[in-house]
Amino acid sequence: MTTFRKRILESINNENLQTALDNNTERRLKGRAAAFESIPDWRERRLRANKIRADVIDNLNAYLEKFIAKNEENGVIVHRAKDAAEAIQIVLNIAKKSPQSRGVRGENQKESSRKVLVAKSKSMVSEEIALNHALEKENIEVIETDLGEYIVQLRHERPSHIITPAAHLKKEQVAELFHEKLGIPYTTDIPTLTATARKVLREVFLTADIGLSGVNFGVAETGGVCIITNEGNGRMVATLPPVHIALMGMERIVPNLNDLALMLSLLPRSATGQKLTVYTQLLHKPIQNQTRHLVILDNGRTRLRNSPLRESLYCIRCGACLNACPVFRELGGHAYIGSDLSIAPYPGPIGSVISPGLLGENYVQLAQASSLCGACKDACPVNIDLPKLLTRVRAGQTEERGKKKDGAGLSSSTKFGLQMYTRIATHPKLFTASQKLAALTFSLFAPRSQWIRLPAFTGWGYSKDFPKFAGKTFRERYKGKHGGRETSIQVDKFAGEQVGRFEGEQVDKFQSEPVSQFIHELTALSGNVQQTNNATKDIIEFLKTHNISKIHLEPNVLDENLLREAGIEFTSEPDPQIIVGVTNAVCGLADTGSVLIVDGALHASLIPEIHIAVLKQSDILPSLPDAMHLINVTRAAVFVTGPSRTADIEMTLTIGVHGPKEIHVFLT
Amino acid sequence: MTQVQLFVTCLVDSFFPQTGEAVVNILHRLGIDVDFAPDQTCCGQPQFNAGLRKDARAIAEHTIRTFENTTGDIVTPSGSCAHMFRHNYPEIFEGDSLWLPRAKALAERTYEFTEYLVDKLNVTDLGATWDGPITYHPSCHTLRGIDVDRQPRELLANVKGATLVELPQAEECCGFGGIMSVEHPELSAEWLKRKISNLEMSQAPVMVVTDAGCRMHIAGGLNRQKKSQRVMHIAEVLSHQ
Repeated sequence: MTTFRKRILESINNENLQTALDNNTERRLKGRAAAFESIPDWRERRLRANKIRADVIDNLNAYLEKFIAKNEENGVIVHRAKDAAEAIQIVLNIAKKSPQSRGVRGENQKESSRKVLVAKSKSMVSEEIALNHALEKENIEVIETDLGEYIVQLRHERPSHIITPAAHLKKEQVAELFHEKLGIPYTTDIPTLTATARKVLREVFLTADIGLSGVNFGVAETGGVCIITNEGNGRMVATLPPVHIALMGMERIVPNLNDLALMLSLLPRSATGQKLTVYTQLLHKPIQNQTRHLVILDNGRTRLRNSPLRESLYCIRCGACLNACPVFRELGGHAYIGSDLSIAPYPGPIGSVISPGLLGENYVQLAQASSLCGACKDACPVNIDLPKLLTRVRAGQTEERGKKKDGAGLSSSTKFGLQMYTRIATHPKLFTASQKLAALTFSLFAPRSQWIRLPAFTGWGYSKDFPKFAGKTFRERYKGKHGGRETSIQVDKFAGEQVGRFEGEQVDKFQSEPVSQFIHELTALSGNVQQTNNATKDIIEFLKTHNISKIHLEPNVLDENLLREAGIEFTSEPDPQIIVGVTNAVCGLADTGSVLIVDGALHASLIPEIHIAVLKQSDILPSLPDAMHLINVTRAAVFVTGPSRTADIEMTLTIGVHGPKEIHVFLT
Repeated sequence: MTQVQLFVTCLVDSFFPQTGEAVVNILHRLGIDVDFAPDQTCCGQPQFNAGLRKDARAIAEHTIRTFENTTGDIVTPSGSCAHMFRHNYPEIFEGDSLWLPRAKALAERTYEFTEYLVDKLNVTDLGATWDGPITYHPSCHTLRGIDVDRQPRELLANVKGATLVELPQAEECCGFGGIMSVEHPELSAEWLKRKISNLEMSQAPVMVVTDAGCRMHIAGGLNRQKKSQRVMHIAEVLSHQ
């Protein structure tokens, strides 16, 4: 038995893992199905998304050039890395130049002698290039800040799922881990565990020298970098430390903001069953006193683009194919191993294509572990034909055309058997003779039974019996009843025409009133909405009832004289001690209950525990695409959809992680 | 008289000839002449799925040649072989100006059995009768490969005396997956276990499928576990009067 099969068996026999995976599968599938109900035209959207991704990959170099030029115009320092080693070197060079490394940051000796600290939000590309390990070797401290990533980092593991990194763990395991590593009393209460991580990581955000994140999409037309997170850590790392490094795969481009809006209607629904992720961040220019670096990684993508696996570059990393896959459901991410026993950076159906596609032959065996059932293709929001790509990996097409190796990852016995069968199946006389021989052999071994019990090593015999060959095959019976005929084989040339079949539904526009829809959606996400004639007066009342006397306030939002009269102190500078932040909302989105927060309001809407946003009713727009023109002109913008949340421990929804625990929208 | 070609598939031919006979009976009753090209063997799917493209191509060429000399639509009692003709043959011959058009011509003539009845002949009631509950397992390649689901369900709904009960988690793969069932028997076994326990939950004594592969797999598992439920091809139910 191969090590891969042994690893699969270990996963199957690991009860904890199986329970965790069943939980993940069930909730994710349900969540996804429910979220797609709100966009009845999803089939048509998915075909459009496929076309957009295809166009991007076809014209990748042109789009990248535009994207890079725009970023440079926006004041972002752009680096290109052709492989993992180059990307790591780029990050190391940035770290070495950081103020901390040069010993100028910090007020005392002790402070300036500490290691460079990197606060990191989730990035699959960083897993792909094993960045953490490389940085730690150079004496740089890297701390993962996504709750799930933080948990697996404390366990010295790799993420087991691209969206929920700790999907393989039960809460008892997390409880033990936090008890052991963070010194808190043992508890399986998920909110307590989450609050502990919040407290520890808050310190990391505030003292980090560098924030490092991945990138969900890069917008070619504007140079915008889109990063989505639920917990708020993506916002923290991108806006608090003096240096932000965004690490992106070179294929992660969309042409313009409208295309981005379409992708954003599909990605969160597919990934977590949300209409919109809590924080949908769009960064254009660095914010005040901040340097931003953008590292664009190739690492096999150009090769993949020139190979028959090109379509796999359409992937937007939602993880829906993992959740839908019956193989992933048994294995979890850690059993996807290469022949060198290393864990593949990307698991599941897409991982079984791109892990060998990006990183080579070591991972081709993964593609054989599939029944090609097609559940992944059905789940894919950009309509990637994953079963087809899996058969291409099996056909050795991971390399550029021309260098194919048939039967990649296939056991030699199966290969031999199938090649024998090819000989038989291409010779009709041999075929019928073999049928007779097989029937005869079978009746010798099991004369009276309809079934034969094969030994387990044959594979088939492991869990099922093999049916009896029919004494008389169909063709014999047919010939007996209908008479036979001989076929003479002639080769004719056909000029066939392909008929394309497309189906699509008309877009169903939501007709109901935007304001009530906005209230309905945000309330469903545990947000609060209050309609008011005088925002300042009502907010003062809110603060009084909560015994709050000092707030973090974006300028020109409230009547500051009224605040002073009421004895409320306010500042526009970030202060971790302040628990309420008040900002303006540029607009609201009716269909998702989101508010748009930009530039000067970023910190006030992120750091305090309670975020109050003031929104004009007339600024409520129907949907995300209607708001895209508003962010074009901002340095940085974020659509906030409810309070910060996580489901990283046992898929249990917990409100309040790194971002605010409460959001109150005052509608004027 | 309309004539169709029967591509009976290697599994039906060798293990379940009664399925082929049921297909012929039904088509005859509908006044259709059924021809059987004797040179047909296998569609080459096992080789294709294993990644043995050269082998798959040899079989595909053989199959195309065999049917090029025949007339009429090709009907096959298997969603996965129909999927092989329709989607995988064009993939095998991609970029081949001689063979690709021939593969596409074959694909255009090919129908899965229930698809042919409902979409081509507009027949949904075959006057079949049955006694008791049955449940339907949508085979992966029928359901997702060629998008055929409404057709078998409509046909089954018109079987007099049959109560169609829903199979829990019906759309999950049974774990056959061709060579996967021998390359990864441990995985295959888990899905089979789940499929059988869902069948038990449905309380139907009979499970209907559209593919001999699923039948061989699920029935083989039922026999190993000494269960009494039967797995039948839809044609056998529909020809029952």
